[in-house]
Order: sequence, then C-alpha cells, then structure tokens
Amino acid sequence: MQKTTRKPVNSFFKKIFVEAGTQVANYAIIFLISILIGALVIFLSGKDPIAAYKALWIGAFGNGLKFADTLDRSTVMILAGVAGALAFRTNVTNLGLEGQLYMGAFAAAWVGFSIHGLPSYVHIPLCLIAGCLGGAIWTLPVIYLKLRWNITELVTTLMMNYIGIRFTEYLIAFPFKDPTATLAGSPVLDASARLPKLMQGSTLNIGFIIAIAVAIFVYWFLFKSKTGYEMRMVGLNKDFAAASGIPVNRSYILAMTMSGAIVGLGGAIMITGFFGRFLGSFSSGYGWDGMMIALLAQNHPLGVLPASLFYGALANGALAMQSATGVPQTAVVMVKGSIMFFVTVTVFVPYIRRRLEKWVA
Amino acid sequence: MAEAISVNNITKTFPGVLANDRVSMEIEKGEIRAIVGENGAGKTTLMKILYGLYRPDSGDIRVKGEIVKLSSARDAISKGIGMVHQHFMLVPSFTLAQNIVLGVEPHKRVFIDEKALIEKVQRISDQYNLDVNVNKLTLNASVGEQQRAEILKALYRGADILILDEPTAVLTDIETKELFSMLRGLAKQGKTILFISHKLREVLEISDNTTVMRQGKVVGTVRTCETDDCELAEMMVGRETIGGRIRETPENREKDVVLNIENLSVLNSRDLLAVKNINLELHSGEILGIAGVDGNGQEEFVEALMGLRPALTGKISIDGQEVQEFSTRGIRESGVAYIPSDRYRSGVAVDAAIWENLITSEYYNKPYTNGMSLMMREINNLSDSLVKKFQVSTPGINVKAGNLSGGNIQRVIAGRELGLDKAKIVIASQPTRGIDISGTEAIRQMLVDYADRGAGVLLLSADLDEIIALSDRIIVFYNGKIYNAGFWYEGIRQVVGQLMTGGEGGCNAEDNAQTC
Amino acid sequence: MGGIDLSRIFTLSLFATTFRMATPVLFATLGGIFSSQAGIFNVGLEALLNIGAFFAVVGSVNTGSPVGGLLYAVVACVIACLFFSVVHLELKANAIIVGLAMNIFASGMTNYLLVTMLDSTGFYQSDLIIGFKTVEIPFIKDIPVLGDLLSGHFPLVYIAFFSVWLVYLILYKTPFGFHLRSVGENQDAAESVGINPKKMRYLSMILCGVFCGFGGSFLSLSYLTLFSEGMTAGRGWLALAAINFGEAKPVRSLIACLVFGFADALALRLQQFGLPSQVVLMLPYVSTLVVLLGSAIADERKRKALNAKHRSAETALT
Repeated sequence: MQKTTRKPVNSFFKKIFVEAGTQVANYAIIFLISILIGALVIFLSGKDPIAAYKALWIGAFGNGLKFADTLDRSTVMILAGVAGALAFRTNVTNLGLEGQLYMGAFAAAWVGFSIHGLPSYVHIPLCLIAGCLGGAIWTLPVIYLKLRWNITELVTTLMMNYIGIRFTEYLIAFPFKDPTATLAGSPVLDASARLPKLMQGSTLNIGFIIAIAVAIFVYWFLFKSKTGYEMRMVGLNKDFAAASGIPVNRSYILAMTMSGAIVGLGGAIMITGFFGRFLGSFSSGYGWDGMMIALLAQNHPLGVLPASLFYGALANGALAMQSATGVPQTAVVMVKGSIMFFVTVTVFVPYIRRRLEKWVA
Repeated sequence: MAEAISVNNITKTFPGVLANDRVSMEIEKGEIRAIVGENGAGKTTLMKILYGLYRPDSGDIRVKGEIVKLSSARDAISKGIGMVHQHFMLVPSFTLAQNIVLGVEPHKRVFIDEKALIEKVQRISDQYNLDVNVNKLTLNASVGEQQRAEILKALYRGADILILDEPTAVLTDIETKELFSMLRGLAKQGKTILFISHKLREVLEISDNTTVMRQGKVVGTVRTCETDDCELAEMMVGRETIGGRIRETPENREKDVVLNIENLSVLNSRDLLAVKNINLELHSGEILGIAGVDGNGQEEFVEALMGLRPALTGKISIDGQEVQEFSTRGIRESGVAYIPSDRYRSGVAVDAAIWENLITSEYYNKPYTNGMSLMMREINNLSDSLVKKFQVSTPGINVKAGNLSGGNIQRVIAGRELGLDKAKIVIASQPTRGIDISGTEAIRQMLVDYADRGAGVLLLSADLDEIIALSDRIIVFYNGKIYNAGFWYEGIRQVVGQLMTGGEGGCNAEDNAQTC
Repeated sequence: MGGIDLSRIFTLSLFATTFRMATPVLFATLGGIFSSQAGIFNVGLEALLNIGAFFAVVGSVNTGSPVGGLLYAVVACVIACLFFSVVHLELKANAIIVGLAMNIFASGMTNYLLVTMLDSTGFYQSDLIIGFKTVEIPFIKDIPVLGDLLSGHFPLVYIAFFSVWLVYLILYKTPFGFHLRSVGENQDAAESVGINPKKMRYLSMILCGVFCGFGGSFLSLSYLTLFSEGMTAGRGWLALAAINFGEAKPVRSLIACLVFGFADALALRLQQFGLPSQVVLMLPYVSTLVVLLGSAIADERKRKALNAKHRSAETALT
C-alpha cells in the first residue's frame, strides 16, 4: 500500500512554529524531570534541594574564576561531543570515544615527554597532531571490520574502549614507566609542550579556544562543505545516498576517523593543558559524556557548545555543592544519567505537537 | 456441498487507496479456490481481512454459515482459518517440529514434553501426508520443507480453511508439483484452500474455481476447467487501455545502441539467481517498456545496471564502454539517470531539505562547489529553477522533502534526474506509482520528451497501462528471464499479460491441464 | 621471561582462581543472555553489577546476613531492569542509549548512596558486612587435585556454574524459553501464534536483573566484603563480550567466561611477578574481535562457494 498522503503545506510558518515549539517543550520536559529526580534524591537523603542547586550554580558561575574553571571542564566535553555528533550524523555508532580519548591522550603525552628542545610553537602543535592521530588510528580496526567483513561497529567500538584503556595502562606501567612517580603515570611533559593558560589562577587554557574552533569548523564542515554534505546524506538515508552515487564507504571512513581524531585531540588537550603527564584512568568517562552531549545537542556541533557548558557546570559546581551543603557531588551524575534516559524518548512529542497544533488552529 | 467461508460486500480503504471495493465470494468445503490478479488488485488485502489482520470498513464474513468478527489472527485461528504467509513465520534456530507447535507446546509440568511433541507432529504429518523431517533445524530446511511446516502449523491448530499467499513464488518446479499434490490431498480430506497467485498456468492446474480481481473489485469467478489462460489474462489485465496511448513511435527508428547487455546474471540478497543470463539492447530514441509482476528479477536487474548490486556474470556497455565494474557515480557520469522504484527508500532522504535532495549529481561539480565548500548561491539558483520547472508545490527549497506529498516528492526526484537534460539513458522504475493524475502526466511527458531528444528510456512499471501507453517496444520479466513481446501494436496487451503470468504468448485451449 | 619459573605461575590455585574470577562475569552473562535472546541488546550490565554489589552490602549490613544482602541486590537489580524496560518498551527510547544512561546513572547513584546511606566516600568496608562463607564439599575436598580445584569456593561460585545448566533448561526445555527465543529471533512469527513480545521482553529483563543481582553480591560479599567505587572493573562489558562470543548460548558463553576468568587470574598472577598483566587483561576483548572476524570469514567462504556454484551453472548454460 502507499504511504499515507501528507497534508498539503498550507501554512508553512505555523508548521515551523509547531515544530520548534515541540522541540523546546520536549527539552523543557526532559530537563524538568531530570532536575526533579535530582531534587527528589537530595530531598530523600535529608538535604535541601534548593540550597544544593543554588550552591551548584554559585560553584559553577559564582565569579570569573569559577566560570573559567567551568569552561576548562567543558573543553574536553566539547571535543568529545563534537566527535560524537559528527559520527552520529553520518549514522556511524561510534561508542568507542572513551578508548580513542585515551589513545589520543597517550600519543600526545608521548610526543610531549620524549621529544626535547623544541620551541613551544612547534612542540604544542606536534602534541596535538599526535593526539588526533592516536584517536584516529584506534578507529582503523573498527573500520576494517565493518567495511571488509560487515561487523557492526556497535560491538567493536565497545571492545576497543577497554583494549585502549588497558593498552595505555600497559604503556605507562612498563615501557614508559616513570620511576619517580607515585601514581601510575608517564614521565612529565616538557614545559614546551604545555598549553598556555588563559587566566591566572584558573586551569583554563588555550585548549578551550581550540575546542570552540573545532566545533565551528565541524559545523562548517558538516553543513557547508561538499564532503560534509555527503556524510549527512549517508547518515539520513544510506540507500538514497548509494543510489545517488554518493561514496558511502568513504563517508563512513571519514566519519569514524574524524570522530576519533577529534576526541583524541580532546585527550591531548587534557594532558598538555591540565595534567602535564599521562595518568592511568585520567578520564572520568569524558567519552561517554561526549555521547550524551551529542545526543542532547541532537548531533549539532554548535548545539554541543551549550550542552557541554551545562555538563561542565554540573561537574564543576558539584564540588562546591558538596562542600557547601554536604550533598555528595555524585548527585549530579544522576541528573546527567536521567537526562540521557529521556533524551531519546519521543512519546511526549506527538502529544505536545497535537496540543500546539490545536492551539495554532 | 456446504459453504466453508464467504465474504459479502467487503470494502476496505487505506488513505488514498480503495483496496477492496464491495468484494463478495463464496467458497465451498473441500474446494481449491484460486484468487488471481495483478499487483495491487486487492488480493492480499482481502486475505489479511480473512485472517483478522485488517478490519474491513464494511461488509461481513461468514464461516460455515455463521457471521464472524475477526479482529486478530487468534480469532481467525479459533474459527479454523489458517494462513501460510509468503514470508514464512518460522524461527530459524528451532526445529521444524518446534515451529509447528510454537505457542501451544505439549508439556509435562514446566518442561516441554519432547516425546509427545515429536509424536503429535509426526502423527499430523502422516495424517495429511505432509512429509517433514521433524528434527531438522528450520534454517537447514529447504524452502519446500519450511512451507510444509507452515501448512502443518496451521493444521496443528485445527485449521479447516487454509489461505496460501503466493505459495509458489519461492518454490522450484519440483517443489511446486509436490505442493500441488499435497493440496489436492488436503482438499480431498475436506480442507478448503484459498490459493493466491498470478501464475495462470499453476492456477489452471490446481484450482477448482478461479476468482479474478482487478483494482480492488472482483471481475468474476469461473470454473477453472471451463476457462483458459487467454480468458483469465484478459480478465486480469482488462481489454481496453484505460489511459490511452500517449507515445507516438517515431517513423524512423534509430539504430544506435546506447545500452548493451550481454549474458547478465545477478544474485538477489539471498544469494539466489534473480536475473538469469539475459541479453538486451536499448536503442537511442526508444522507450523500452519492461513489464512483469514484482519479484521476477526486474529490481535486481536495475540495481545491477546502476552498480548497486554486483553482476555475477556478463557485460553491461554504455555507448560501447563496459561499465559493469563502475561505481554508481561512474555509471551516472556515463550518462544514466535513475528514478528508483521505492522513492522513500532510495529516492529521497525525507529528513533532508529539498535542495539537498536535488543536487546529489551536481554538488561536486563546478560551479556548485569550489572543491571544498558548497556554493550556496549557485545551488539555490539551480534548486529554485528545478522546483519551478518541475512544478514542485512547496513554500521553499529549505522544506524537508518528507513534508511533501508523494507526487511532489516524485517531482523532486524527476527534477534531479531529468532536470539538467544530460542523460543518454533514463532508467525509470515505477515512476508514477501512487501519484496524482497531473503528476503522472507530467512525468510521462518528460520521459517521452527524453526519448524524442534521442535518449534511450527503460521504463519499468507494475502498471501495465503505463507500459502500453508509453513503450515503443515491450519485454517481460518472468522468473529472472526476459520474454520479448515485440514492438507496440494495437493488441499487444494480451500477449504481455500472458507472458507476465508465465504463458508462452500464444492462446490455445490445450494449455488447460483440466477437463470438465 | 627466562628467569621466571612457569610452573610457579601455572599452579592449581591459578585454575581455582579462574573459577572465582569467572563467577561475576558469568552471572552477568547469564542475565544478559535472557535479554539478548529476547532481542534487547543490554549494554547496562556493568551498571547492574554495580547496583547489585552496592545493595548487597546495604542488605548485609541491614539484615546481618549475606542472604539478606543477596535479596536486596536482586530486588534492586530487578527494579533497575524494570525501569530500563519501561523507558525502552513503553517510552520507546533506544535500548543502547538507555543502557549507557543506566551505566552513568548507576555509577552516580551508588556513589551518592554510599555517602548518604553508609556515610563513606568511594569506599566502604566494615565488620558489619557479613559475607558468605566458603563451602567445603565433603569427600571431594579430600581428593588431592580435584579437592583443591573444586572445593572451598564461595556458594555463589557453585550457584553460578549450576545456573548455566538451569538457564539452558529454561531456554531450551520449557515453553517459556521457546516463547522468549521466538520473540528475539522472529517477532512476527511469535506474534502470529499469539505470543506477546512485550510481555516476554519484560520477563527476560526481570530474569536479567535476578542474575545480575547474584553477580553483584558475589563481588561485594564473597572474596571481598566491601564496596568500592568502580569495583565492577569492566566485568559488565566482559559479559557483553562473552554473550557476543557465545552467540547468547549458555554453554558457549560459559566457555568465554572461563577464558576471560583465566585471563583475569593469569593477570593477577603475572602482576605478582611484575609482568605486564594489562596485556593479558586485553585478551578477552581482543578475542571477541577475533571470534567475530573468524565467523565473518567463515560466512563469506560459504557464500563464495555458493556463488561459484551458481557461476559454473551459468557458464554451462551459455
């Protein structure tokens, strides 16, 4: 049978209004539910949710310094989120961001501590490029298994996560062990490999600007460039893209490697900007955060910016909340988790749409 | 004899389609009734109503004289109606016996009673003389064996009325013969069989009576022994041309071959031969109509032409250049335009804007790109002009394609494929399926214009009227092979109709396997 | 490795440790088998183990008995699974994303509750946690080799291995198991004979919760009697790998779990000798990839042979 014939587009602007209104209302519902879940948990443990959220806000945005730290927190999330968005837009389910992050971070650290005597303006770019390469290389087995053997990246990227984490652990435990370190970590990076700070007293560094630049670049790439157009068409309808002669496999390879490179860059910035050496299990799930952020931003590279800021604020404000009100900082992890629970829920959407349509008419 | 099942004035509509229009028929106990008709004639809808999967808008169903309401497959089963779907409803990793009893397994306390299970299945298999290896895994069973399991599954649940939806579509000739002898046996034991098909020769061989459907209506019911394939084909496809002939074949047929296909064989997705060693020439300035019931290899044939499916053997040449190893883009750049049959699956990306759907063959060429960026001004100009030229009704080129009606989507596709007047070969697969009259006329006219300008047009359509109205020459796909119906002439319709249903093209009463 | 005596690494206790290390993974695997046989790709196993481990400790402290802890863990995991099911089956959210969300949510929740319920940060150890006692099997414990290998484990180890057989029975010998598998393999077929796919998926998730509860309580109430942040250490992902490796069949997945357990045990041992245990710990994940590749290669061989047959038949025609 034929598909349902659609209504003629008689009132285009009403339609746009309903569409946008539905989106906004849907997000509002998701955030509200998640914040309420958080509040409920805080309340049930005998604390005041409003005081806790207030402390969180002040901790994240209370003054310039705190805001700067929040921005620093969101740097790696921006990159991981953009990486996720780029892959998901092409309908490539890269669940391996975490592993790629580790590989990128280690590659950057390696260049940072093993090459000496370079000026900063050479050493830093080398580190960052190494980070990109490290992340990208980690996607190659996934690409091979998918394109040559049609094995879904869903499983392979998950497996590569742990292989990557263990592999870097091995590297810092044996070949690149720093004998002087108390924690398992690589030797300390040369000063010439460290990213310049942007603000006295804060960890905010030039990596933040790089992250924004990458987000803008990926926006341009996806929506304004020839290759990005191809990737989006593949993501929207692979059969259509194939029948139109768009190179489907090339888009897959590009989406995967670029995604790996971008999140690898995120790892490199964490190492060269924040830690100054590679540490085992340095990432508290930034790759997973990136996936959530991408989903929250509906895979839009610029939407990733506010979403990352939100996540960065949660992470940074949580600590302040804990010390001010005694509410453990992990409460925010639950808020993040619940947002993700609902982010792909679309059951509210038709309801909201109906209401809005009625209202418009 | 007693009436087993009857339907009275059944009407069923889907949005925009009248699938069943006041359908009535009565089937007696022990009868084998064939229901024939082209794609979209309404057979499958009727069967789904009988099996409780669709609810009719009006009309009633009687089983053994009693009016019944069938609102689910469960209801149908409880009334003794069983269905053998064209795509088997079997779990691959189960044994055939396990599939037969699924949902009503014999058990001892919490465990399945495997001995009783095997025995019961064996007994019913013996009773109806339907031979299956009960312990074979379904994924290892032949298609014929799986089908027997499906029939047993219905019988095991107590079905007296069996509906078989195109049961021979998936069978080899030998398996078909076996199936027919089984069906005769079942009818002899008092089972009533509804047999849906469009292969007239099989219908003539197996059925007692034949009901012909066309465009949702019952054309008539005939005693099979009193008819022949000529009569049935005529009933199926109709005598008169509904749309009228649009195309005037040019006086001087050109002889340049634009597309030459030699010994082409293609596998389908299940690794079975779908296109069997065919040879074909397409001339410039010619509209070549390809008729055939869906699933006879045309789709695979087109996909192979477009580089979307590898050719197993054979050569495809465009203007003398072999292209069978080319990518889809390479083939398109050799001058092929392609309107795919399923516009929602491979014709458009519904979530992409109209302009994004319009530029897939151009975006990588100057002036639409400088090598890196898309040049939006040029792209917008191009899109606007295509939307205008092809009369796509839309407020703008930034609207998502999915917000357009089916007809407008098809105009977008036509605009993309035909708008730049570049193609030397046009492959149009179901170009007007489900489209309003003005859209249909516009697209047909475009194809004619293309041919007049010297392009070769391959027109595939399930709508025989369209083929007859437009083609200069007609071939028919049947069972992976092509049969030549020849150049268009006033009475070609009957020949095409017969070729589509497996006839040889000549009419004679001896084709009928039965005598009264 | 010239200086290291291999016989000191490959001892009997290495194999006994293998059983112990395989146990939590095995429980999670068995749970995941149910959901995956019903057609839900459950990437939330790590979260479920985490929840189970935490509530086992809570239950043990509250009731003063390890069985109470086990009960708490099972109930908590079942509730988590029901939540998963509602969001996925009723609210139609993508199962993978719900699973990932659960992983994040659970790590936050356990840590949060650790502070608010047990008043500690990141780590809780106390005499109040009553763990399981090891079981000496009479007669077998006196048999020289077998005794060291099989006797003296925690009860949950025996239950885990016994459960493989149980799961096999449920899935392959009961009507319930048949219905469950039919839903996962061919939903249309199941529906056409009146099986309710949604109901079966709910039930499969409940069973998944039960087994993960067992797995979680083994982590925190047996060999170790404590809860610490991240104590699941990727075992949920390993279970996912085992399910993939074993195509969601209980016995094949058991083999994978044993291999993974052995890798874990070997890694522990190598660590003691200052050898790279991390490489060994990569093995489970690498071997999953290798198995996936191997079966893809085998499939293609079969297809190629079939195509060659077609092709020769075709050339014979021309």
